[in-house]
Amino acid sequence: MLPPRARRFFRLAVRRRALIAREVDDEIAFHLEARVAQLVARAMSPEDARAEALRRFGDVDAARHTLNRSVTRHEARMHVKELLASSWQDIRYAARGIRRSPGFAAAVIVTLALGIGANATMFGVVDRLLLRPPAGVRAPDGVNRVYLTTANGFQGLQLGSNQSYRRYMDLAQHVHTTSDIAAHYERERVFGTGEGARQERTSMVSASFWHLTGVRPVLGRFFNESEDQLPSGTPVTVLGYGYWQSQFGGRGDVIGRALRIGGTDYTIIGVTPAGFSGLSLQSVAAFVPLTAGAADMFAEFGPRVKWSEQYRVGWLQTIVRRKPGVSVEAATADMTNAFRQSLEIQRQVEPAGLLAMNQMNPQATLGSVLESRGPRRSQSATVSLWLMAVSGLVLLMACANVANLLIARALRRQREIAIRQAIGVSRGRLLAQLLTESTLLALLGGVAGVLVAHWGGALLRSVLLPNLDWSSGVFDHRVLLFAGIVALGAGLVTGLAPIRQLASTDVASALRTGGRGASLRRSRLRKTLLVVQGAVSVILLVGAGLFVRSFRNVRSLDLGFQPANVLTIGVTARGTPLDSVQKEQLAVTMRERALTLPGVEHASRGLTIPFSSEWTQPIVVPGLDTSRLRDLFYIAPVSADYLATMGTRLLSGRTITDADRAGSEPVVVLSQSAAHRIWPGANPIGRCIKLGQETPCMTVVGTAQDIRSSFDDEPSLQMYVPITQQPQPEIRLFIRTRGDAAKSTELVRPSLQELMPGAAYVSADPLEDFVASEFRSWRLGATMFTIFGLLALLVAAVGLYSVVAYDVSQRTQELGVRVALGASAGKVIRLVLAEGVRVVALGLALGAVVALALANRVTPLLYHITGKDPITYAFVVFVLLAVALMASLVPALRASRVDPNIALRAE
Amino acid sequence: MPDQLSLVKGTLDVLVLKTLSWGAMHGFEITAWLEDRSGGTLDVEDSALYQALHRLEERGLLSAEWGMTENNRRARYYTLTRAGRAHLRTETTRWLRYTATVSDILTAATRTA
Repeated sequence: MLPPRARRFFRLAVRRRALIAREVDDEIAFHLEARVAQLVARAMSPEDARAEALRRFGDVDAARHTLNRSVTRHEARMHVKELLASSWQDIRYAARGIRRSPGFAAAVIVTLALGIGANATMFGVVDRLLLRPPAGVRAPDGVNRVYLTTANGFQGLQLGSNQSYRRYMDLAQHVHTTSDIAAHYERERVFGTGEGARQERTSMVSASFWHLTGVRPVLGRFFNESEDQLPSGTPVTVLGYGYWQSQFGGRGDVIGRALRIGGTDYTIIGVTPAGFSGLSLQSVAAFVPLTAGAADMFAEFGPRVKWSEQYRVGWLQTIVRRKPGVSVEAATADMTNAFRQSLEIQRQVEPAGLLAMNQMNPQATLGSVLESRGPRRSQSATVSLWLMAVSGLVLLMACANVANLLIARALRRQREIAIRQAIGVSRGRLLAQLLTESTLLALLGGVAGVLVAHWGGALLRSVLLPNLDWSSGVFDHRVLLFAGIVALGAGLVTGLAPIRQLASTDVASALRTGGRGASLRRSRLRKTLLVVQGAVSVILLVGAGLFVRSFRNVRSLDLGFQPANVLTIGVTARGTPLDSVQKEQLAVTMRERALTLPGVEHASRGLTIPFSSEWTQPIVVPGLDTSRLRDLFYIAPVSADYLATMGTRLLSGRTITDADRAGSEPVVVLSQSAAHRIWPGANPIGRCIKLGQETPCMTVVGTAQDIRSSFDDEPSLQMYVPITQQPQPEIRLFIRTRGDAAKSTELVRPSLQELMPGAAYVSADPLEDFVASEFRSWRLGATMFTIFGLLALLVAAVGLYSVVAYDVSQRTQELGVRVALGASAGKVIRLVLAEGVRVVALGLALGAVVALALANRVTPLLYHITGKDPITYAFVVFVLLAVALMASLVPALRASRVDPNIALRAE
Repeated sequence: MPDQLSLVKGTLDVLVLKTLSWGAMHGFEITAWLEDRSGGTLDVEDSALYQALHRLEERGLLSAEWGMTENNRRARYYTLTRAGRAHLRTETTRWLRYTATVSDILTAATRTA
């Protein structure tokens, strides 16, 4: 139907120019002819008349040219005008149609709004995580993040702190294919002093960073090379736009003011533009010169750490901009070469632990500047991609449903359309009108969808991905554009479905039967759509079930400690560093003070935070073959009351007490698995463990419940040693409060802050935050899959209901005949129900097969459950069948009440 | 031959519109009509007339359609549109006022003391 029409249209377009030229020629020829005739009539000879006619006409070629152009322009304009006029008419017709059936329109718009909204939301997230280049960076395609690998795997990729300053300087010196090379490192630092002190995100960047990114300051200036020199740079800082606005009210006179960051007073010299957050996704409060920030930060670690000299102090990340025309491959090869040269230099000065070059196989990788895209994609990004695919499925279902509704509507209007056809409305116009209607509906759905995305985005922002800087919004023009394209696509796709039906409509028979004629074939198409919907619902609900169960598995996992109501306290020493005796003293005082506070049940000193930091090493057991103990043991230096604070049970013997002090007998408490691993089946109490060959025996005095320090399958092999016998450079306290830990922060922190000497700063964070951030990706999956799954279920139920209801209305006479012939109400209900359930069952089977096929790919994202979990599948089947029954029940009951008299008379 | 009057810029358009106010005509009819009326004093190249016709059509002041002459020849007939008619009215008024002013000035009696 359409193709020949389209072909003619194109032929016309090609021929139009020739046509115009001929008409212009005709007009000029006619004029000359008429003139000659006129002159001949005035007794001029034909030859003279011809010459005179040409003379009076003037330049024929020039005239032909201008006339041609003029006619072309005019025709084009007329064409557009006609098109606009007919489109406008179509739109008004469509709008009238929509107004006439508001229920239908609402169903379509809401369905599409949910589908489009879900997609726009997920697109916003994926765009932010994986697609959108960092805001404000000039020509981001040329910028790469450098990853360095040696034989022992990716170096510190997950920690985000991979290279040493020395390495960065080596690379900068030996790489030739880059126009800019810069280093950056981000970290929370304490801003301000005393009561007003707060932790803020700080980015330490090399001076070259500004030229590499091409950012311009909105106020003041950026720092230059001379301010970023060893040993400790110049204390100047550039504020992030958001921090400038919130802390300084966006005032221009901040330039020259002092800002305490960490242990140093910095002078504010500039402000970055709005939306610029360095090269990461989190917003940055202030940028400081790399050397200045590092000197201040590493001072807290004591003089042993020579950050600017030692290769093994890895922390910063290297960013490069390739020279114009240099491919990623060429730059990678060059960077690998620079890396090798750097390793050779390292071999001269710091050979310890370096393998031979051929064993190391050093390799540089130039990854995307977006860290979440990295050589290894982050789990949140992976889950987001899955969700994007899932939201695509939801949209597909929504479109199927809308197509179904439109088909039903087109069938109801078959008579009206037949009449319009009979009075001479061309098929092209009819099709254009139908497409206009579906597109108009889809666009309305798109607008509503954008609202859905607005709220959905807010939900995602606050609950699921709170760490990201959303100041530039989930919601930018890219998301709007995406939603617009999706809406138009949905309009066209759904609009085409009824058109296929109408194309084959026979006007005469449609008029005769009132549009009941060819419904059989049509409901087959609609039922196919239903089967697909059922299948998609199964896939989504299975996904939702798997993620929800994973999330529950993670949550209900016995960690061996109770993170709820526990605060972790940390101290950042600033300015004058404390010596070890002072630190010890301070830690003891802090613990004593904490115990006096109301609402504090237990307090204890510690070092490592489960799920966040760890101290692991192999141990030595006298009389035991060391090769049997290859495992890494987790060592936790703790004070008295630690197990009670964490909520870990003591199983045998005693725990660490205040009596265990420096100089008393070294002791250790083992976790159950640790004891079992060393002495299977034997009582460990009284036996000896060493941390190294040369260190003294630590006597085992007790065993405790197993704990987990990560979501890995095995409990960690845990050892608790008295912190007094293993002095630590860091102060860390754990406090168990009676109420909610987050609320107690306000009570605990100021009271401990009072004890701080100089500018030292106390931080207090709920222990649960450290654990929760670890299961964010499961929570994201569980929440979003459930939302999408329920959406899909709703859409499928509405679709099923509308199809079954329509079928019943079409079969009124047949059912009437059955009732007249003695069929009972129950029999009629069963007949209709069976119809609906049969369609859904087919979809169930299809969906289950697809879900099983995808199972292996989703399993790595789950926790303690396989993608083929039978309970989940059984539950989904049950839910879907129940919903199918319910959706068919209403029309079935209506069918059972058919009055045979009315039904038969209607014929 | 009488003196040739070259046309003041823009007047050809008005003259064409005026010509067509009598009814649909093809290009040559318009030329002949104008020549007839002006007694041959207007110096207009025929090509300029056609350009004026098409320009007016583009502006929506004229519409054109192919038709048959009395001798059964195919010719392009031009008709005044509603907009063309309105345009002719305002332009005529403007022109008359302009010429009246100019001739008033040019023919004014010498100022008496």
